[in-house]
Amino acid sequence: MQMGTARIVFDRWDGRYAQRMRDVRSSATRDLFAAASRPDIISFAGGMPEISLVPTDAAANAAADAIRKHGLEALQYGSSEGRPQLRETIVELMAEIGVRAKRDDIIVTAGAQQALDLLAKIFLDPGDVIITEGPTYLGALQAFSAYQPRIICIPMDEEGMDTDALAAELTQLGPRGAKFIYTIPNFQNPGGVTMSAERRRRLLDLAREYDIPVIEDDPYGRLRFEGGHMRPLRALDEEVIYLGTFSKIFAPGLRLGWVMAPRPILGKVLLAKQAADLCGSAYSQITAEEYFSGTRWRKVLQDLTRTYAERRDVMLEALEEYFPAEAEWTVPEGGFFVWVRMPAFLDLKALLPEAIERGVTYVAGDAFYPDGHTGRNCMRLAFCYARPDDIREGIQRLAEVLEDRLELYRAFQAAGALPGAPVAKGVVA
Amino acid sequence: MKEKIAVLMGGRSLEREVSLRSGQRVADALGERGYRVLPLDVTAELVNTLRSERPDAAYIALHGKYGEDGTIQELLEFLGIPYTGPGVVASALAWDKSVSKRLFRDNGIPTPAWVTFTADAFKEMGAATALDLIPEAVGGFPLVVKPAEQGSALGLTRVEAADGLAEALLSALSFGPSAIVERWVDGAELAVSVLDIGDGPHVLPPVEMVAKSGLFDFSAMYTPGETDYYVPARLTPEVEAEVRRLAEEVHVLLGCRHVSRVDMVVAQDGTPYVLECNTSPGMTETSLLPMAAEAIGIGFQELVEKLARAALDGLE
Repeated sequence: MQMGTARIVFDRWDGRYAQRMRDVRSSATRDLFAAASRPDIISFAGGMPEISLVPTDAAANAAADAIRKHGLEALQYGSSEGRPQLRETIVELMAEIGVRAKRDDIIVTAGAQQALDLLAKIFLDPGDVIITEGPTYLGALQAFSAYQPRIICIPMDEEGMDTDALAAELTQLGPRGAKFIYTIPNFQNPGGVTMSAERRRRLLDLAREYDIPVIEDDPYGRLRFEGGHMRPLRALDEEVIYLGTFSKIFAPGLRLGWVMAPRPILGKVLLAKQAADLCGSAYSQITAEEYFSGTRWRKVLQDLTRTYAERRDVMLEALEEYFPAEAEWTVPEGGFFVWVRMPAFLDLKALLPEAIERGVTYVAGDAFYPDGHTGRNCMRLAFCYARPDDIREGIQRLAEVLEDRLELYRAFQAAGALPGAPVAKGVVA
Repeated sequence: MKEKIAVLMGGRSLEREVSLRSGQRVADALGERGYRVLPLDVTAELVNTLRSERPDAAYIALHGKYGEDGTIQELLEFLGIPYTGPGVVASALAWDKSVSKRLFRDNGIPTPAWVTFTADAFKEMGAATALDLIPEAVGGFPLVVKPAEQGSALGLTRVEAADGLAEALLSALSFGPSAIVERWVDGAELAVSVLDIGDGPHVLPPVEMVAKSGLFDFSAMYTPGETDYYVPARLTPEVEAEVRRLAEEVHVLLGCRHVSRVDMVVAQDGTPYVLECNTSPGMTETSLLPMAAEAIGIGFQELVEKLARAALDGLE
């Protein structure tokens, strides 16, 4: 029998890294995950697309055509802004969601993630203020943190970012008091909520009033299960910086995303992009062009969306059935995530080792806040990747873990020892 | 080449990251001193690796559950591998503050008034209806609530008034099966390390910690710059003598060997109170034992080697 080893290999360069890397270090919880990658664990942790629904023959044809038909371009360096043909494809995709743009308003990036890094690089000096939703996308926090900003989080409710709270914060900060406002208006990661039309308007008005750029990150926008289409911020205001991705509508393996921004900003992004990687992969870009040249991708996107919708339904049903009465969760109209909030002072980060022991994982809420403390009574559950049966089983296991801890909470409640609801109903975190 | 030493670190406790930092520094130090170093994570492969690698000794750089509660010590004894630090019983006694504080009190060692609650007492016996009795039992507010089992101050809350008590207990009980509520003693926080490698206990200079946030919690402990340290502590000769005497007494009372770190607070009237005893003190760049050793000219490598030799040479 082949046994592993417990031997550890150290980083012998530790202590020689730049100060800024301290802030982007992985958390103890994430190390804990790594230590516990058991096959029997049902994971609600990662937001991975169900890539098995993308027909391999379609992907194979697109990839083969990229080499067979366009080999000399596919294997060569390309332009830093990305291939004109793919940017045309993006223009069409954007038109479908109500955004009018030209090819030259777009730069293709290595996933939207690279755009986050490049934008942070061109805008941020250490100590600069930026505004995000709280909680917000972990990858954005990682990208931004490397440039050492001070991150202010604006809470959300079922209508997305609380624009009154934003207004109050901006009053404090004053005009140009922040370098940018970062938002994920559709099926927010991790909150699962969607910003209402009214809030979108208000956000843009405030941004105009205080002269602060808005970054709209929209990876999940096309994965809507129900409800009407919401106009992107970029459709309402041409100065909005819009980030899109092929990761959810085709495949994350291609590492293709884009940034759409006013030309002067785009010029700076281009310089930063050249410094970062000269140019993106022409091979990936042509593969995407080929894939999106037909109509089959629309059917695939429908399949993906339907599958995610089913899984969301299964998760919501399981939550209703198994989760304790004290739990509250958001009901996403699309995307990948449900955000669960437990009573204050239940520490879900401390509970994670027990959950792993019982064969289920999640991401504790503090990962989505820059301070690493807020959100400990919350968790993000990804419904996108687990199979329906596993979702039911995983939620049941998780409920048992929570139930055990809640017994204690209830004992305090029954004795009248705890104040009533510590957070107003409807607040995400 | 000198002997082969396994450095045990990591594990699945919430103090994993801290342990990895301790372990790496220890492993580097032993390597510098010419030992063959086997850095090991505490995983399901641990026993298998120890059996095939057959180290001459194990350096325990684990913190928290399993590393400090006697579990790993028991296992190493079973495998016949000598290890650094206190043995099974001393570890188990020090690990559970509700036990060690009783021993302190029964042996005339001052420790702040406290009460202990298990989660079961709340769940099964309605202990939450008696929260109103707590302030009187420990001498009023402010008080501090923490998990009874040893740790890096995870789950520790200072409570100023009655309405914060239940929440603090819930928070502490997130980290372990029981919690203690202890009178808050305002004063200088001290860490007093004891080295005991063959020739009896030697008390190192007390280290005084002043957290800028006012509370020496997990983040103050491990974030450089969040705490000011004074070595030796700013104490009168009389108080320092008393503090040293108490540290030695605690070390002996619990039956520690090799090393221990006794945490105390000196009240404004000069009375020292013992809070707890750590049997696997941190060895990170902001840790207190290395700081104390440094103060009497024992560098980090030398300290680590002394402890490793104590295990290798079978010193009790």
